[in-house]
Amino acid sequence: MLSKSLIEDVLTAALSTGGDFSEIFVEDRFTNNFTLQSGKIENCLSGRDFGIGIRVFKGLQSVYAYTTDHSKEGLLKAAKNAAQAISGNTINQLTPFARESFDTIHPIQLMPNEVDKSRKASIMKNAYETAKNYHSSISQVTVRYMDEEQNVLIANSEGKLIEDKRVRSRLAIQAVAVRDNQMETGFYGPGAHQGFEFFENLNLDHYANEAARIAVTMLDASPCPSGKFPVIIDNEFGGVIFHEACGHGLEATAVAKDSSVFTNRLGEKVAPEIVTYIDDGTIQNEWGSINIDDEGEKARKNVLIENGILKGYLIDKFNSRRMGMESTGSGRRQSFRFAPTSRMTNTYIAPGKSTPEEIIANTEHGIYTKYMGGGQVNPATGDYNFAVMEAYEVNNGKLGKPLKGATLIGNGPKTLQLVDMVGNNLGHGAGMCGAQSGSIPVNVGQPMIRVSEITVGGTKGE
Amino acid sequence: MTIQEFQLKLFSVAESSGFTDVEMYYEKKEVFGCQVYKGEIDQYEIAEDGGVSFRGIINGKMGYAYSEKIDDASIPFLLDNAKENTQIMYDEHNEEIFSGSSHYEQGNFFSRSLNEVTIPEKIQFIKDVERELLAQDPRIVASEYCGIRTETVSRNLLNNKGLSLTDQMNFLYVIVEAIVKDGEETKTSFEFKVTKDFQRLNAKEIAKKAADEALSQLRSRNITSKEYPILLRNDAAANLLATYSTNFSAENTQAGISFLKDKLGKQIAGQKITIVDDPFLEDGLASRTFDSEGVATKKLTLVESGVLQSLLHNQKTAKKDQTETTGHAHKDSYKSVVKVGPSNLYLEPSTTPFEAVLASMDEGILITKLQGLHSGANTVSGDFSLAANGFYVKDGKVQYPVNQMTIAGNFYQLLKNVEEIGSDLTFPLSPVGSPSVLVKSLAVTVE
Repeated sequence: MLSKSLIEDVLTAALSTGGDFSEIFVEDRFTNNFTLQSGKIENCLSGRDFGIGIRVFKGLQSVYAYTTDHSKEGLLKAAKNAAQAISGNTINQLTPFARESFDTIHPIQLMPNEVDKSRKASIMKNAYETAKNYHSSISQVTVRYMDEEQNVLIANSEGKLIEDKRVRSRLAIQAVAVRDNQMETGFYGPGAHQGFEFFENLNLDHYANEAARIAVTMLDASPCPSGKFPVIIDNEFGGVIFHEACGHGLEATAVAKDSSVFTNRLGEKVAPEIVTYIDDGTIQNEWGSINIDDEGEKARKNVLIENGILKGYLIDKFNSRRMGMESTGSGRRQSFRFAPTSRMTNTYIAPGKSTPEEIIANTEHGIYTKYMGGGQVNPATGDYNFAVMEAYEVNNGKLGKPLKGATLIGNGPKTLQLVDMVGNNLGHGAGMCGAQSGSIPVNVGQPMIRVSEITVGGTKGE
Repeated sequence: MTIQEFQLKLFSVAESSGFTDVEMYYEKKEVFGCQVYKGEIDQYEIAEDGGVSFRGIINGKMGYAYSEKIDDASIPFLLDNAKENTQIMYDEHNEEIFSGSSHYEQGNFFSRSLNEVTIPEKIQFIKDVERELLAQDPRIVASEYCGIRTETVSRNLLNNKGLSLTDQMNFLYVIVEAIVKDGEETKTSFEFKVTKDFQRLNAKEIAKKAADEALSQLRSRNITSKEYPILLRNDAAANLLATYSTNFSAENTQAGISFLKDKLGKQIAGQKITIVDDPFLEDGLASRTFDSEGVATKKLTLVESGVLQSLLHNQKTAKKDQTETTGHAHKDSYKSVVKVGPSNLYLEPSTTPFEAVLASMDEGILITKLQGLHSGANTVSGDFSLAANGFYVKDGKVQYPVNQMTIAGNFYQLLKNVEEIGSDLTFPLSPVGSPSVLVKSLAVTVE
């Protein structure tokens, strides 16, 4: 994407004021975003994102410059702008590049740009028809189609030179059901680190029907009661609870500055023995998967909590300096506009032994959440909140009526201690995670789990 | 290749490839940002950013594409993709390239003096903020985020119908997080300030506000979960209004995903509520002299004394509703299609100070922060259940902070149940603003 000699010049200019490490990230990304509403494709946007990010470290100081100007002058100017913020006496030299190659973990069969757009349109129309025809109360269905091919080149002053091509595909289906003055919505958004074959192999009817079914079910839902209850959280996107309650607090961004509730707790028991929590960027073709992170480190499987014991953090290159620990291949960023920092990939609770039926049968009175919405956490306090899309009451070990309007709040480390059952039905769900280095694709996952007590904020009093 | 050369070539190739009407929109942005940690520069960011967006009509349909790479190869990329996109798109011949409004008001969104503030001055200022913050109280243990940022953004729109528009804005903002610890209790706060007037920024004042906000939350208590009268502080009220502002888009009413469908001329909110959209606010983060189609912008009243007066329109939605565009064609950036969106939208303040509104409360809760707005608020149904921080109020006075809680209700009901509005209009690092709002009641659940 850039010549080796230009990369050398840029990395050298970036070190010219005494920096001890310089890095260049070149990104060339092709995207398609289509929206279908009321049965018609209304918006179609294709684009090319292109830019260069240059980073310089000196000790615990990090400087980042980025530009969309790819001329030699533009790049050298950006490198010098970055260098300007550093002052030191020792001028470091580049280590000669050793070009790294690797076998992809995530094979792509059909590159998005080789597939006719009419085939993409027909996938969207099929999803629309299925969801719309699910029930007469479905008043609107919005289908969003997204594909992207992101080409990256990463080189640094330590001699790293590596390139990767990431291809991602996603379909998001939102259904609206209406009755009298009431409107309810349902959503499903499957995605993968795959080409167009993802859509061809996708059980489209399942996802479209589920989005519609949730909306229709919620028309008959009762307001969720408020209070403290045992909560059963089903698999797949249910894993968002631990993404918030625990995952963000294990990122070096928070840990390195002592501001995470998990700082300095390696080796401690932070969860019951039945909890093992893993971040694994190597799962083949999953939405949050990567071959290499955005600092050029190979993806790996990081066990964060093993049988309740805190085993590790998610660490990027810069925070590895502050923490005195190795990078875990977790440096990620939305685009060249962001300096990378420690982030999750596919994070999940490992499966346990209970069957979903056992978990429900063992719960006398509580709430079962089938699908979750999004959530949020404050890593300094561990306080989290997240929304429930579809929930049911549980009475005497049986599912009861559907409930709506529930939000779960609590404290991550405390909730973690209260996990008392872990199911055997591990599943992953696709989402976008927003944090310091932008919005990135991640999977959240878990089998069905039960937490003995969570505060449920509903619209109906206790 | 300069942007002018690129545009001439793009238009000429477009016209010879069958496009009748064409438009190029581009943005240029200069960014500086710096974060400090324990007296040292921690993160430093400097950037030149931008890209072009192409729109053109071919065979009667509008196609879109964008690129951040300004080179020869991007011209066929833009045109081929825009053309292909028209082939799968449904278009009722509604979208047009605009030939221009008769008059464009001047905007005043760019401060020369702000542009002259040097990088060392900005760095010194943010270091002062951190130092002042840590000096406020021994319980303040850190600021994980203490940063300053300036942006200069120029927008340009050119088309082959003779329109050539440009405007420019700049702003500076400071964001400070305070983390306080007292025994087992940890609380945090975010304080921010947006301005074009660097000289009037006061490091100590910002630090004190951040510190007070975090410290005031310590020793939080439990209270009974039930319905309470709720005073939404201005920043929390603004964030809630921002979440539901999509409902004013005619695109959403036409798609049947807005509660405001068929509500024009009807009472949708309490008598005291007036909501306006003003694209000419000097410090507004979404100020603009022309919208994303090139239509001249103007101030618009959306809700007056609780009655819905207008929706936000672009040319396409206006045509569908047989009305005029309100100049609210909106693109998030050159990387998006033309949608509908507000500029600076706000709830008009009253003349009643915040203290007087608070003093009028018998018993209730003052909400100072809402969380989970992206997930816990359903913009279609209006229902929300949100994590919240705040204080117990009794006899018109703040008594003590409350443990993390949720407040739940329905936004449209809330609009009808507004009892009092403060004079303290604020825009919390957002183009949507509000004063404090006293609401009859919402369901509160305490952790």
